[in-house]
Amino acid sequence: MPIYRYILRRLALLIPLLIGVTLLAFIISNAVPADPVTANLGQKAMSDPKIVAAFRAEWGLDRPPAEQYLVYLQNLLSGDLGRSIKSRRAVAEDLASYLPATIELATTAILFGVTVGVALGLLSALRRNTWIDHTARVISLFGVSTPVFWLALVALYIFYARLGWVAGPGRLDAGMTPPPHVTGLYTVDSLLAGDWRTFSNAASHLILPALVLASYTTGLITRVTRSSMLEVLGMDFIRTARAKGLADNKIVVRHALRNALIPLITVIGFSYGNLLAGTVLTEAIFAWPGIGQYAYRASTSLDFPAIMGVSLLIALIFILINLIVDVLYFVVDPRLRAT
Amino acid sequence: MNRRTPLSTLALLAIVLLLFSACAAPAPSAAPATTGDQPQPAVSGAADTLVIAISEDTASLDPGRAFETLPSIIHKATYQTLVTFPPDSVESVIPSLASSWEISDDGLVYTFTLDENARFSDGAPVTAEDVVFSFNRMKNITGNPSFLASGIAAVEAPDASTVVLTLSKPDPSILAKLVFGAFSVVNKAVVTAQGGTDAEDAATTDTAESWLNANSAGSGPYLLEKWDPGVETVLVRNDNYWGEPAKIARVIFRNIPEAATQKLQLEAGDIDIAMDLASDQVPSLEGNPNVTIYQGLSDTLVFLKGNYNPEIGGAFSNPKVMEAVRYALDYEGLRLLGGGETVNPASMLPVGFLGAFPANSGVQRDVEKAKALLEEAGYGGGLDATLAYPDFTFAGVNFGTFAQKVQADLNEAGFNVTLAPAEVQVALQNYRQGLEPFGLWLWLPDYRDSLDYIEFLPDGVVGTRTGWVEATADADILALRDALAVETDDAVREGMFGEMQTYLIEKGPYAPLIQPGLQIGLRSNVSGFVYNPQWRVDVSLISK
Repeated sequence: MPIYRYILRRLALLIPLLIGVTLLAFIISNAVPADPVTANLGQKAMSDPKIVAAFRAEWGLDRPPAEQYLVYLQNLLSGDLGRSIKSRRAVAEDLASYLPATIELATTAILFGVTVGVALGLLSALRRNTWIDHTARVISLFGVSTPVFWLALVALYIFYARLGWVAGPGRLDAGMTPPPHVTGLYTVDSLLAGDWRTFSNAASHLILPALVLASYTTGLITRVTRSSMLEVLGMDFIRTARAKGLADNKIVVRHALRNALIPLITVIGFSYGNLLAGTVLTEAIFAWPGIGQYAYRASTSLDFPAIMGVSLLIALIFILINLIVDVLYFVVDPRLRAT
Repeated sequence: MNRRTPLSTLALLAIVLLLFSACAAPAPSAAPATTGDQPQPAVSGAADTLVIAISEDTASLDPGRAFETLPSIIHKATYQTLVTFPPDSVESVIPSLASSWEISDDGLVYTFTLDENARFSDGAPVTAEDVVFSFNRMKNITGNPSFLASGIAAVEAPDASTVVLTLSKPDPSILAKLVFGAFSVVNKAVVTAQGGTDAEDAATTDTAESWLNANSAGSGPYLLEKWDPGVETVLVRNDNYWGEPAKIARVIFRNIPEAATQKLQLEAGDIDIAMDLASDQVPSLEGNPNVTIYQGLSDTLVFLKGNYNPEIGGAFSNPKVMEAVRYALDYEGLRLLGGGETVNPASMLPVGFLGAFPANSGVQRDVEKAKALLEEAGYGGGLDATLAYPDFTFAGVNFGTFAQKVQADLNEAGFNVTLAPAEVQVALQNYRQGLEPFGLWLWLPDYRDSLDYIEFLPDGVVGTRTGWVEATADADILALRDALAVETDDAVREGMFGEMQTYLIEKGPYAPLIQPGLQIGLRSNVSGFVYNPQWRVDVSLISK
């Protein structure tokens, strides 16, 4: 099957999948034995029937759940994600303002995780049971097993408060004006605007949370690269290549690494999705105004429209990443193209 | 030899990457350069800018809709109310936009005379029309704070400088309520131009909120420059302010959700004030010459509640059982657990409110007496109990930790307590519907007057949740409750609140646990900081 047809088919599946996600999110939110009224009104206000009635009317909570859901779907089809109860702004506007912060953080983290993880993994596979391998094992074990919350605080204490090497929490210094909005990624936007001062400030704020966030991914990728490489290096065709007298670097890069890439691509795609969806703790410690904190606030305040919006967004991210991963399989593995 | 080439290249690459990741940071860092072991402050070093770290809870900055902590600080700086409190207390009401007022003999009509010098930030005079518009708008939006206006029958403006407020029944707390940011006087012309309305259907027709989230239309010492949700709120000095001008030109409220992060930033000098420190962070800051700590008392009341509805409360509908609970608790231990300035309120009225009994002067622990009371109630063989509570930390109080302490204390006195934590919203729902036999909760005052605590009496907000209703309550406490609701003489009220507390200590369905301390960290060069329970901090008084 030509690759574009494959992609089209996958994209067509997007719509039912996303509708399914909204339905699930809606059912789960409504099954919780709690009431948005208690989550969003003060103690006195929630005891005042008039205020409670006005609140339910404002957010459409006075209608039967099925009707609420249908109204939501109807609005969704016209591109309207509704208004957040907590922030009282359009959910789309909220997502547009919080998502770029998380993308910037997660992308920096995955870039670091992949470069360092693959390099370390390769080294330890090729130098199995040497000091390099042992060191890499310790590093990856540390990355995988250290709670990110603790690591974030310690890193902030050492590199920000004690050494002053990096700027503190937040995306920019207090009161600094963000660069003109193009992508929403401050490092990119400030470069596009040629504003070096803002760029260096944004980069200095970004580096520490990104490294902390990358710790788990780096450890994971190191381990996967190592085991996958070892498996491939033990295969017959590698022995054949060696017997042929092929140069070592050619064996590693052209033959072994390429074959080891398949599980690696899966892990990288999956990790990137997780980084985008799972930054809550890092964002809290680093006061990073991203989607994680928004999702957390939405769920603790039973902010249905925001919960639905975030669920849709995260589902969309995972679906797209999976699609990209599958397409990459085609690129890396010629056998798939044949079927 | 050939074998080594790719490997050494890779090793080198990895080392370079690791080094880069460690060293890349200082190179682009424009901000803190190190001298000695303390980084130099960045923006906050500027004498005309104040940076305050706070866990942002803003849902709206529209005075007609907001009800949270940060908005009350912002509103104090950007708007004014008819009357206000002195900077450091909530015990008396003093003039603000109103230079004087008269109260009719029946306590129903309040006539305010506006200060003729009062000006909005655009230079327009503050008139009675603006007051009428602001109050009616807040009331008719029917939002979170509008219950504060429920006792107001009418607001009228007989002339430009006179406001007449008519109540539906006497309300001794009305002046204290008027201090609340919800009663901020907005510039009618400006807000109307942005879609604001005070009509009866304002709940659905008022569209000024988004504008008021980005701008202010008040007469206070500051203007709202911007609110970037989840990031920061910025105020700039109002150069047209009709009173004493603010000392600092620009105030930035940074959203820093974690107390640990606030502490690090305070030490680094990146912020001037850390609003949400925890009591256990104080000892490690005490030796720091660059930091001073304000320690005071919050007005949060943490308490246990039974349920006087026998069908729900079971054993906990028996006043003797609740009395046993009060005698079983180790108050000193609870106080230590709270840390800082934490105290034990004697009854259900926090220290600092009119008529409140002195701290730590309530029931003292007496395990034998608690056992005897349990026996008297018919539970000499032990009483199985389930303690429900929200699984969260509020104002530094970890409910799980306190529930465990309560469990240990009560078990010593013959109870057998099982802990039943629940997610906050789920627990809150059960609490609100009065479905909990025995629970651990907290109460924050809605306005700074002791009257707010009659909600703990029969048919009050908390009374209802504890199954304490008029039909089954003593006539004495009902009479006291009704008298408190309308009594306006403070000397008389003080005595009556004393009676209320004594009654609750003896027969109420509650056990007061603690009133937590609060800790605010300041850089040593910050002066003029004064804590007020209503608006927490008046930034216009601060200089550095």
